[in-house]
Amino acid sequence: MADYPHFTQFESLPEAVTAFCQLARENGLNVGLQENMDALRMAQLEPLNDRIAFGYALKAICCCSEEERAQFDTLYEWFWGWEKGALKAKTVFKNQSNIQKKTPASLVMMGVGQQQAGQEEEARNVSGANRVERLRKTDFSKIEEMDSELLEEIALKLWKQMSLRLKRKMKASTTKGPLNLRQIIRYSISTGGDPIRLFRKNKKPRKQRLIVLLDVSGSMDKYSFFLLRFICALRVHFEKVEAFLFSTNLIRITEYLSASNLATTLNILSAKADNWSSGTKIGACFRDFNEEHAKRMLNGQSTVIILSDGLDTGEPEVLYEEVQKIRRRTKRLIWLNPLKGMRGYEPTQRGMKAALPAVDIFKSAHNLDSILELEKFLLDV
Amino acid sequence: MTNTSSIQQEFDQFGYVLDEELATVLFLTLHLQKPLLLEGPPGVGKTEVANVLAQALDTQLIRLQCYEGLDVNAAVYEWNYQKQLLSIKLQEGSQKSEAEKESHIFGEDFLLQRPLLRAITATEKSPVLLIDEIDRADEEFEAFLLELLSAFQISIPEMGTIKATHKPLVILTSNRTRELSDALKRRCLYHWVSYPDLPRELRIVQKHLPQLDKQLSENLVRIVQVLRERKLNKVPGIAETLDWVNALVALQATNPNADDLARSLGCLLKSADDIEMVKASGLEELLAVSE
Repeated sequence: MADYPHFTQFESLPEAVTAFCQLARENGLNVGLQENMDALRMAQLEPLNDRIAFGYALKAICCCSEEERAQFDTLYEWFWGWEKGALKAKTVFKNQSNIQKKTPASLVMMGVGQQQAGQEEEARNVSGANRVERLRKTDFSKIEEMDSELLEEIALKLWKQMSLRLKRKMKASTTKGPLNLRQIIRYSISTGGDPIRLFRKNKKPRKQRLIVLLDVSGSMDKYSFFLLRFICALRVHFEKVEAFLFSTNLIRITEYLSASNLATTLNILSAKADNWSSGTKIGACFRDFNEEHAKRMLNGQSTVIILSDGLDTGEPEVLYEEVQKIRRRTKRLIWLNPLKGMRGYEPTQRGMKAALPAVDIFKSAHNLDSILELEKFLLDV
Repeated sequence: MTNTSSIQQEFDQFGYVLDEELATVLFLTLHLQKPLLLEGPPGVGKTEVANVLAQALDTQLIRLQCYEGLDVNAAVYEWNYQKQLLSIKLQEGSQKSEAEKESHIFGEDFLLQRPLLRAITATEKSPVLLIDEIDRADEEFEAFLLELLSAFQISIPEMGTIKATHKPLVILTSNRTRELSDALKRRCLYHWVSYPDLPRELRIVQKHLPQLDKQLSENLVRIVQVLRERKLNKVPGIAETLDWVNALVALQATNPNADDLARSLGCLLKSADDIEMVKASGLEELLAVSE
């Protein structure tokens, strides 16, 4: 157990305050020089000499969110507590373990209870930025339960950043949209005040539909949970996302994605998907998709993302034909295969081989970084 | 307002029951002159803090309500285009150079001040600037705020930088419908406003309805506190509690029964599912918790 500093070790209050800021920073709170200075200024304010008020004030300076406040309390207790070491440091990374209790549904999806040997091959016990960096590169199937929550947190954050960049912005235009008076007047001065050139501002064109087909068969077990979350994240920022699950048959899940919180969505989905973790008939499922949905949803401008390992138990001819059909109706067909992340992987399975000619972009989706790479393809969706 | 307890008293006068922590944070806000970010669920009195603060300091409250699509034109400043066009026409015959004309129509006369600019240019004393529900504004808008919140200045390309003569006291509120950017958060003091506990909520109710019977108000508040523990879609805030207590007073239910409860439940719960669920779980039972 690490030895934490205590305020009694310091000679003056400013020193102690600075040391505390350092401690907070080391423990992941967003405390920089500015915060440190604020804390020092605060410590000089006469009426805050009272112990409790001092704590409250320090909290307001050091914390940025509700979760951080909980962590702060622990740190505060260590550092400023009356007795050194009175509180055992067992609650260090409190916020990593109790943010959200996993629902049973998500546990099933993550393949809990199917402990496998060799899960711990990747480096463990790394903290801070290294830990984040490592998790981003770790294969989803090798992520342990404990890490998975942290990974989810990172994933949501990164996906959010990604979608922010993808977001529409107002864009200058000369043909459509409301007049941009500011620009018109600027330019009219050179023509003696007559607004001859008109400028307009217009929204970027609406995003096209995004269609996602997610394989939830047994072989995809370890990945489907994270990929499903990824779909949920996409749903927030793309107005028109259509999502389907498939294994032995095809289920449309678009309507459930809009449930207000993720846990609810996952619960509904797991109840719905009775064929979760069973065999795969990719070709047949795509045929269903083409027959029932494709006409309505695909208009030649849409992008289709297929998330599957391509391990098909059906006839490769069927798959070939159906994938071609989808291709003809879309602008771009993206196939993400988690297996591609494995070293030495070649798309030699019958199914994958059959589908490949029709696929525009063939990428891996085995870890967070590989999913983030998708951004550039989604930019002009 | 020289210490935390005087802030508490001051707020108390204006009908706001302030807990000690928030009082400390407000004290700090006043002395460090940093913006204060208040986060918390809807209906816990975040906006009211700014209102009362302005009253207590006897200063102007400038409010900016954020919404999706809010841009600089609506929040900071806008040029008065009609007037500019007119002025250009009027100057047509004059011998002025182009540069002179330009500097004329981009002068202060043609500037329409929006809340943020008004807050910066206040002449008498520091106003309270309330930026309400910042989480509703687009992420891009947050970036506009950064300059204002750290340096208390606003740059207008045509005019230059306007610096505040009296730093406004800035209070931002957020319902946390989305996470705010780190850059914005780092410029602010942070405080999480949660639902009040029983004693505090009771004090709030008594503050607003002093004529109400003590025992009754305690019973009602207890019911609200129990309801908040349930998994509701929309958890009732303090405003709902006050509405509901008011409603029961209006219904003259001095000893509310299940029927009174059913009739007034809409004041407290704002979702059909919630009302359905609470009714299904038994109103009598709910009344029993207050006994």
